[in-house]
Amino acid sequence: MATSTTGDPSRRKFTINKKYLPYLLSLPALLTCIGILIPFFTAVAYSLQRYRLSQPWAQKYNWGENYINFMTDPSFWNTLKVSMTYAFVTVGVELLLGLGIALLLQKRTRFNNFVSIMLLMPLMTAPALASLMWKLMTNPGFGVLSYFAETIGIEDMRWASDPSTAMLTVVIVDVWVYTPFIMILLLAGLRSLPRQPFEAAELDAVPRLFVFWRITLPMLTPFLLTATLFRVIESIQQFDIIYAMTQGGPGDTLTVFQVEAYLNFFQSTNVGRSAALLMILWAITYFLSNIFIKNWLRLREKARGGA
Amino acid sequence: MQKNSNLENVLRGVAITAIILFFMFPILWIFLMSFQTNETILRVPPSPFFEPTLTNYRSLISGKLEGSTATLEIAFMSNLYNSLFLSVTSVTVGLILGVPAAYAFARLKFRGSEDIAFTLLSFRFAPPLLVLLPLTIYFQQIGLADTYGGLIWVYQLIVLPLILWIVRGYFEDIPADIEYAYRIAGHSFWATFRKIALPLAGPGIAAAGLLAFIFAWNNFIFALVLASADKQPVTVGALAFITASGINYGQIAAGIMLSIAPTFALALYAQRYLVEGLSLGAVKG
Amino acid sequence: MSLELTNISKSFKDEMVLDGVSIQVHEGKTLVLFGPSGAGKTVLLRLIAGVIEPDSGQIKISGTDVDGVEPEDRNIGMAFQNFALFPHMDAHANIASPLTAQKQDKSAIQSGVQTLAKLLKIDHVLDHKPKELSNGQKQRTALARALAGKPKVLLLDDPLRNVDAKLRFEMRLELPRLLSDQNTTVIYVTQDYKEAMAFGDEIAVISSGVVQQIGTPEDIYLTPANIEIARLFGDPVINYLDVTVQKDAVGIFALVSDKRVDLNSGYARAVGQDCSLGIRPESILFVPASHPGAVPVTVEAETPLNEKTVNLCLTARGREIMASRPSGTVGPANGPAFVSIEAANVLIFDKHTGELIEPDKFY
Repeated sequence: MATSTTGDPSRRKFTINKKYLPYLLSLPALLTCIGILIPFFTAVAYSLQRYRLSQPWAQKYNWGENYINFMTDPSFWNTLKVSMTYAFVTVGVELLLGLGIALLLQKRTRFNNFVSIMLLMPLMTAPALASLMWKLMTNPGFGVLSYFAETIGIEDMRWASDPSTAMLTVVIVDVWVYTPFIMILLLAGLRSLPRQPFEAAELDAVPRLFVFWRITLPMLTPFLLTATLFRVIESIQQFDIIYAMTQGGPGDTLTVFQVEAYLNFFQSTNVGRSAALLMILWAITYFLSNIFIKNWLRLREKARGGA
Repeated sequence: MQKNSNLENVLRGVAITAIILFFMFPILWIFLMSFQTNETILRVPPSPFFEPTLTNYRSLISGKLEGSTATLEIAFMSNLYNSLFLSVTSVTVGLILGVPAAYAFARLKFRGSEDIAFTLLSFRFAPPLLVLLPLTIYFQQIGLADTYGGLIWVYQLIVLPLILWIVRGYFEDIPADIEYAYRIAGHSFWATFRKIALPLAGPGIAAAGLLAFIFAWNNFIFALVLASADKQPVTVGALAFITASGINYGQIAAGIMLSIAPTFALALYAQRYLVEGLSLGAVKG
Repeated sequence: MSLELTNISKSFKDEMVLDGVSIQVHEGKTLVLFGPSGAGKTVLLRLIAGVIEPDSGQIKISGTDVDGVEPEDRNIGMAFQNFALFPHMDAHANIASPLTAQKQDKSAIQSGVQTLAKLLKIDHVLDHKPKELSNGQKQRTALARALAGKPKVLLLDDPLRNVDAKLRFEMRLELPRLLSDQNTTVIYVTQDYKEAMAFGDEIAVISSGVVQQIGTPEDIYLTPANIEIARLFGDPVINYLDVTVQKDAVGIFALVSDKRVDLNSGYARAVGQDCSLGIRPESILFVPASHPGAVPVTVEAETPLNEKTVNLCLTARGREIMASRPSGTVGPANGPAFVSIEAANVLIFDKHTGELIEPDKFY
């Protein structure tokens, strides 16, 4: 303070305290996370190395080689393709389904509230356990879904163990677990929309489809965007469901980024390649999460009364 | 609101029924399966009618599975205990670390506060393996490999951002004047934090804790990479369980039911806060 | 000097909220901070309370510079406009909070709270939580809490803003007595000129972060420093008419609707200047046409305003002016009438700067 003149010794102590107090409060949380940040930089280093756990003596920097190798590596392109397919299909289906359910349950009735809470249960199920549940239901021997498939004429449906239906199976599990996430966010969004435009549209007898496209959807966009980005970021990193269901198989049908990196690390002990794969995944999610956080912040401010 | 035709009501009803069926059937079916022996499970066609039995639960809880050939010792209960211990401790640690930090971010705008808060948030979106794989090597070196302590530390990656951002919102919702009034009345910063901020943000803190518990409980990848059998939570344990030979499917189903029951119960209890928690405080339910 | 602010400035982001504010309050006196919303009054209170810090300037409480002294160590009581009661504590605990901070023993706290509660007539609701209290009870609880610690300086941030009209009326009568009994130095923020006039030993008029005028209520009312202040005090607002101050053999005068209004000879320095002639509605008297200097007007309407009756009149030039008189007295019928404008009651402002032109005393 510019004009203060008194030299009260107790004052100095206070000034220091006050200046450092916020850091004092947030430092423990920060340190905890910084401890975990160190491995991140290690991973960057690994991704630039030739490093196999089975040949520790041969560990050395080969700089961009791991990345350059990806260019000509069909299994990398497969990983990219599978990850993208998985992310787009799951989020696409979940978005449509979630929006549909949210619209169905939009009215605040007891029944609708009850249904929306029930529908949250899959989301509360650990994804790994959800995979187990579906595994039990799709077991070729006794699975109830295999039986259903048979009754509608699909003979010998082998679900996750057949390369042609493996993707379908894990997508179903993902849709089962995560649709409620989109549904509940959009439902909260729908219910928070101002009423006047809808009442006005109704008075003017505007066709409902038109209301949906021109009023509901535009106003819901921030929620749609936040939910979608959130899910894309998570879905492109999906591990639990796929690993618990097939461990990436059969063959390399489902070797999405994290599964492939996990297998590279623990089975082929190729640390360098594994780290490089994860770095690419990180770059994708970092890009997406930056867009996400901007939208998310806007929503958050609105929810907090625009403060 | 709108005049619904009969046809539309019927379609609506069909749609809702189909949705409930798709989302509830797996839980219901596994629930039914958990009360059956292999004999009724393996029936073709499958049927929801059977003589219910508690043997699956009994053998899981006792830890001895009576297989067709021999008695199998399995560690399901210790997995359940690990889940409980890891989740409770992680959430406790997360609250102790996260609540003061959330308060600092909410109330004391300081240099770099937003950057730090966003850095913490961005952990939520980074691929977990990116950190986990090098960590396996580090943990070996510093003796944290296969310890509860190491796991609880890593669990902070999911627990802390959640607690931080939800609780921060609740602190921000307290009018600053109320805290000022307490200071002016003669109470210190710490007394104000304890007597005003904490109690008023109490419901939010509790909700954040419950949600963090659910996320910690449902986590799979951390323990898969970092924990050996005796430290594994149910999510990882159950996977080993299904590949073990000589196990009744009913017992797997019973194990799943026991593993998802706690999160279901908490979710029902904290349903009012679920939306806010799932969106990390961006949307209020 | 109990409270002394010297050259206080504060800005938030790029916005200057207070710009070089200096104020002094004597022990036991009440200073009213009066001004429109957004003038910086509340910020000033917060600076005194120590919950925010000034960018520059000095605050002294009882002669001690409080820079860096925490709010809890400043011995201040404050009542907030929105009451800011602790929602999770009952009224008793709210009022007791300064006493518990002073670590008083239980019986002292008990009796301290009881005395204040009786005085403020809330002793029957002490076990209620804030949300179970009426607005009036909340306001009294907040007041009791501010007073409980026997603070050296009491800050009241528009405490009557959020209560209903009846209670505001009652409190306007009670509060001055209560405050003088406490014998503390009070800073009272309000946007209501009547409260300002009723409570203040002195009034500081503040707008856009600058103190415009400090003075006793009479000073402010009778010799407002500028036209803006003149307009803020008084209801209905002061009338003002564009005039040019002129001089002839008889003396100094201005023309209102071509009628001569003689002015104090002290206004000689304003001769030839474009001015605004301000005259309070209660100084406009209806007179017979024969009255010397009677100005013709047309009475357009009559409306009651609190304890007054107001006539809206049009001058011959089409300017609206308002005249007020005590309710119950006989006024003019709508239509042509005459008013007198007494030289002793007019204020002359510089038309361009709005500053008051005071007549030279020793002419």
